[in-house]
Amino acid sequence: MLAPALLVLGGLFLTGLGLSLLRSFRYIPALGLTDPDLGAYAAVLTAPGFLTSLGLSLWIATASTLIASTLALGAALLLRQTFTGRAIISFLFQINLTIPHVVGAVGILYLVSQSGSFARLAHAGGLIGAPSEFPPLTHDPFAIGIILTYVWKEVPFIGLILLASLQSIRPEHEAAARSLGANRWQVFRHVLLPLLMPALAAASALVFAFAFGAYEIPLILGAHAPEALPVAAWRSFTAIDLATRPQAHAMAIVIALIGAVLLALYARVALRKGGRDAV
Amino acid sequence: MLRSLVVFLLLTTAAAADTADGEALKAMTWDEIVEQARGGTVNWFMWGGADNINAYVSDYVAAVLKRDHDITLNRVPITDAAEVVNLVLTEKEAGITDSGSVDLIWINGENFRSMKQADLAFCGYTDLLPNNALVNWDNPAIANDFGVPVDGCEVPWNTVQFAFAHDSATLPDPPQDMAALIDWIKANPGRFTYPAPPDFTGSVFVRHVFYHAAGGPDALLGPFDQATFDVVAARTWAILNEIEPFLWRGGATYPTTITQLNELFANGEVAFTFNYDPAQFGIAVQAGIYPDTVRSFGLTDGTIGNTNYTLIPFNSPNKAAAMVVQNVLLSGEAQLEKARTEVWGAAPAIEITRTTPEVQAGFAAIKGHPSVVPSEELARAALPELQADWLVAIEEGWKANVGN
Repeated sequence: MLAPALLVLGGLFLTGLGLSLLRSFRYIPALGLTDPDLGAYAAVLTAPGFLTSLGLSLWIATASTLIASTLALGAALLLRQTFTGRAIISFLFQINLTIPHVVGAVGILYLVSQSGSFARLAHAGGLIGAPSEFPPLTHDPFAIGIILTYVWKEVPFIGLILLASLQSIRPEHEAAARSLGANRWQVFRHVLLPLLMPALAAASALVFAFAFGAYEIPLILGAHAPEALPVAAWRSFTAIDLATRPQAHAMAIVIALIGAVLLALYARVALRKGGRDAV
Repeated sequence: MLRSLVVFLLLTTAAAADTADGEALKAMTWDEIVEQARGGTVNWFMWGGADNINAYVSDYVAAVLKRDHDITLNRVPITDAAEVVNLVLTEKEAGITDSGSVDLIWINGENFRSMKQADLAFCGYTDLLPNNALVNWDNPAIANDFGVPVDGCEVPWNTVQFAFAHDSATLPDPPQDMAALIDWIKANPGRFTYPAPPDFTGSVFVRHVFYHAAGGPDALLGPFDQATFDVVAARTWAILNEIEPFLWRGGATYPTTITQLNELFANGEVAFTFNYDPAQFGIAVQAGIYPDTVRSFGLTDGTIGNTNYTLIPFNSPNKAAAMVVQNVLLSGEAQLEKARTEVWGAAPAIEITRTTPEVQAGFAAIKGHPSVVPSEELARAALPELQADWLVAIEEGWKANVGN
């Protein structure tokens, strides 16, 4: 049963990664590059915009993950209660899981750009006189539009995983804590949250890795400079000069490495902390 | 049932001859090539960002090919020809030399240079196409693609020349040359911007400023020259940095695509948009995206023109059919159809005087869209494109000195 999954992982993902590695070492026989070296990495790491791009990508991924996780936690706890209309609210909560990120980004553009629906409403209401008076929320230096899109898209994703996890937590734990005098906050902080921590950590790690490494949303909603790292990698992959292809691959490998290291650190901290609290 | 389906599929694929061997095709007569092409399928990778162009290809061209040659045209939309360069390059690396997935590419400029640089193009066959006789290869703007000799590696499809668009209702008298435009920008803060290079159109706008800083393109033609570049580039960055505070959003950010600039223009946020293909303005007006009062214009000091082409990759397995497609695209009838304002409004890549009287009459009868500046008017002050090395240097320099 494992074979198909291994085939996909080994055959497609690892081969692709391996080829990308080879090319990042400036080994592309089709272009006449046959002596591997680290020149592409040196060029990428010392490029003037690299650190600001890295900073931007980290900011996008961190802010999106924190906001989405917090909102998702709150939503999951609310949706766990029984109330009238819960089924329909749950449905609405999850509906955007099927909408592709790119479509979401274009939707955000239509809503919050300086000529978007909100700006038009503000204009109709006499709040602003011209599009340029509406605060720039897309293509802005703080990447607000990008973070908004990720939050919109990932809250239901994390929420769904948390709801599934909540269902496996038996009510006795909470009942026991309450009977021992814990208030609602204490029950949440010392019983529910530690039990939810593994699921929350896993889901938020996925969101972080995605937001750090995906290029389409920063491409649609990002400012021209600094570029998010994946956008910079894509630009150099489609650059005019074929000689920059190794740099594109080197940048992709650097993105993957940074992402993997951050995730490993995060897993150590979050899972260990969650595990200890739960004991 | 399933077995018969498989047999059927095998038979139908076998029916279309594999024509990956370009050298064998070059030894044939045109009639033999057309016979080889029958039943073939051509995967044409082309920029898919304009509905009218897509419709022209999928409806008109595909129908002609099916009717006259039993060829199936499969239009594959892409956003940038650089993606296809990567695809063909990857195939070459993987050793796919006779069964590539790409049969035809709409291409020019730097991507053509990349294809040539890596030996990815099928070359030396264009004389075989009967309609090649309609092409004026003595015109350097056709025989050279952004300064790179075509060398029979691609077939011209359209000629275009850069123009600006403005709304005559709000701005009746737009600036007529680059110096006046720069003054206008400074006098009207927030009303102008351009897409950040390497966007194709933003890049060509910056080149106009570069030409202006150089006092004309004459000193820039030919191979890249670092000394000349340094002098002209310093002046160009000074001009662009000087106008930056007067741009949209105070120059803090630039649009990243021409689509974004078009939206700003459609919303009235900026007073100008511009395009390498002025026919796009008429199309946007017809679609109700721009107001009827939009007009377009060139500059008295000239705007840059170029030719775009179709190219067959070295590893296409359907070279014969792809050649037939190129021949159809070059025909007077197909060039006339796409020149019609309501279809596309694209300027032809062939000499109209070499076509049949009917086609010539058709061209004469075309009524231009009021929003589209006539190509003859633009052609009075046309500037050539620079070689790709200049483009690379200008784009890199812009990023480091202006768009940082």
